[in-house]
Amino acid sequence: MAALLEVTDLKVEFSTRYGDVTALDGVSFSLDEGETLGVVGESGCGKSITALAVMGLIPAPPGRISAGSIRFQGEELVGAREGRLRRLRGRDIGMIFQEPMTSLNPVFRVGDQIAEAILLHQDVSRTEAAKRAIELMKTVGIPEPASRARAYPHELSGGMRQRVMIAMAISCRPKVLIADEPTTALDVTVQAQIFDLMRQIQEDYGVAIIMITHDMGAIAEMADRVAVMYAGRMIEEGRADAILDHAGHPYTQGLIACIPALDPEVAAADRPPPLAEIPGIVPPLHLLGKGCAFAARCDRAFAACTDMPALKGGPHAVACHAHEPQQQPTAGGA
Amino acid sequence: MQTLGYILRRLIYGVILMFFVVVLNFILIRLAPGDPAEVIAGDMGGITKELLAEIRAQYGLDQPMTTQLWIYLHQIATGNLGVSYYFDQPVSKLIGSRVGATILLVLAAQVLSILLGVVMGVFSARKPNGPVSAIVSVISTVGYALPVFWTGIMLIILFASWIPVFPVEGMVSARHAATGWLSYGWDVARHLFLPAFTLAIIFLAQYARLSRASMIDVLGADYVRTARAKGVPEMRVIFKHALRNAILPILTVAGLQFGNLISGALLVETVFNWPGMGTLAFDSILRRDYPTVLGILIIGSAMVVVANIVTDLGYRLADPRIRTTGGRR
Repeated sequence: MAALLEVTDLKVEFSTRYGDVTALDGVSFSLDEGETLGVVGESGCGKSITALAVMGLIPAPPGRISAGSIRFQGEELVGAREGRLRRLRGRDIGMIFQEPMTSLNPVFRVGDQIAEAILLHQDVSRTEAAKRAIELMKTVGIPEPASRARAYPHELSGGMRQRVMIAMAISCRPKVLIADEPTTALDVTVQAQIFDLMRQIQEDYGVAIIMITHDMGAIAEMADRVAVMYAGRMIEEGRADAILDHAGHPYTQGLIACIPALDPEVAAADRPPPLAEIPGIVPPLHLLGKGCAFAARCDRAFAACTDMPALKGGPHAVACHAHEPQQQPTAGGA
Repeated sequence: MQTLGYILRRLIYGVILMFFVVVLNFILIRLAPGDPAEVIAGDMGGITKELLAEIRAQYGLDQPMTTQLWIYLHQIATGNLGVSYYFDQPVSKLIGSRVGATILLVLAAQVLSILLGVVMGVFSARKPNGPVSAIVSVISTVGYALPVFWTGIMLIILFASWIPVFPVEGMVSARHAATGWLSYGWDVARHLFLPAFTLAIIFLAQYARLSRASMIDVLGADYVRTARAKGVPEMRVIFKHALRNAILPILTVAGLQFGNLISGALLVETVFNWPGMGTLAFDSILRRDYPTVLGILIIGSAMVVVANIVTDLGYRLADPRIRTTGGRR
């Protein structure tokens, strides 16, 4: 069976004052129905651009999809007409954004903002849409949904606003839900609540989730499969448990080392430094050379790293010259 | 309730403001050279010392200025704007017959400049580096730089001799017998177009620039991306989700511009012979008709005060964040 969403060799370029810059290069992944794919990487890796590309929302100009394909239920979305993409957005592919504070329109009531999504894609009356908006708000765990529907965004807390965003995104029972750092702006207890809510929605609605994050902890909690991105390329892909246990790429290993250990025994025994970090930053895209973009920050870099490593290896693929696939304890992980 | 208290507070500020307007202008106009008694005597034919003294005594112009001011303030407090030296009629009646024409002109110019300005701004914001944007920038810069009286005269020349579609003078056609409510309205509207457009041009430029900047800003906002992500058509993204937010700074400026619009209207009225307060003010200044000039200034500043209150109320309506939490509707 074909995957629900199949992205192949996606390339996105932006014209900037430094000339054309490649924001995404050769990104491929697939998403099956009902599964959660985690997309991980630091800021500027191309995670959000990937999400916007799938939504058909790359700001053009200056951006454009210059190569590759995005197939949703077998239908090619790259080069599809805007009207077609618009009908998919919000109906079949929903999206939640990072900043619930600014992602809701400040001058409209939240109930109306949810109802608008319903009215756009379904043939229902305004009253019916308003009623469904209130039901959705109840579904996402907003207390007193009927009166909260009449509130403006500034009258709600950050967690409540993100619940409203989720209600909006699932209002038409999409097949894919893209969550772009949905909990980054929220405090830790609220983060856990939002994750619970997303898991519950996935169970009830059977929606496939693309979870974009820089937080490996969130991946450990949510994802079935993981794609690790660095400087616009995918550098590792595989099942979440395989990657968390036996990360192949030095960058992924670094990200995993950054998960703060909450268990005191583990913190004492396995990871002596309580907070690890990866030295340096993601290089600016216009300064990328021909070689591995991570080489400058990598302690295992050697001569071969001046060539771009390809993503290779079975279900657990790694793009690193220093990585030998046969070293994996069990081929295919897990 | 909150709103009511707010209006009351603003009205009190308005009264205080107008008190200073009256006092300041009362003094200023008397500092200007010229003597109303001489003008009146001149009109009566022949100036003698006795006649001048008699006129001064009759109008109270022989009293010390502080006494005159005191009497005038008393009058105004009772709602009496005094009697015009020249027309020998109550000033309130003189202004009352003309204030409607000025308000019509000012509101028409305001609406026209905001509408055109916002449309220009929105379209140039969609492609900030495109040709539309460049044309809008040129139009708004030139429009801003042109003095009203010059624009007015040019438009008169254009429409009087080349394309005579709009009447260039007055408010109603002399030949046009009032055949009905509708045709009268149409006649006034046709007369209104040129003066309102002339007055609108200067302000248009500011609204266009402001709404362009505001719109560019808002189009980059997260909630606009959210609207697109839920499948809102582009035109609705712009005119519903973005414009509703981008309009807020325009409202603020629109309120502040009211004073400038009214003073601009006085010039435009003179050019187009529009029967508003402007022509009356102009003539009354030349005639040293103090009560009329002061009356016009008082009514003008009252209009500005009211306009500002209305703007603030509109702002509260447009932006729910300014309304207090828990307020209903």
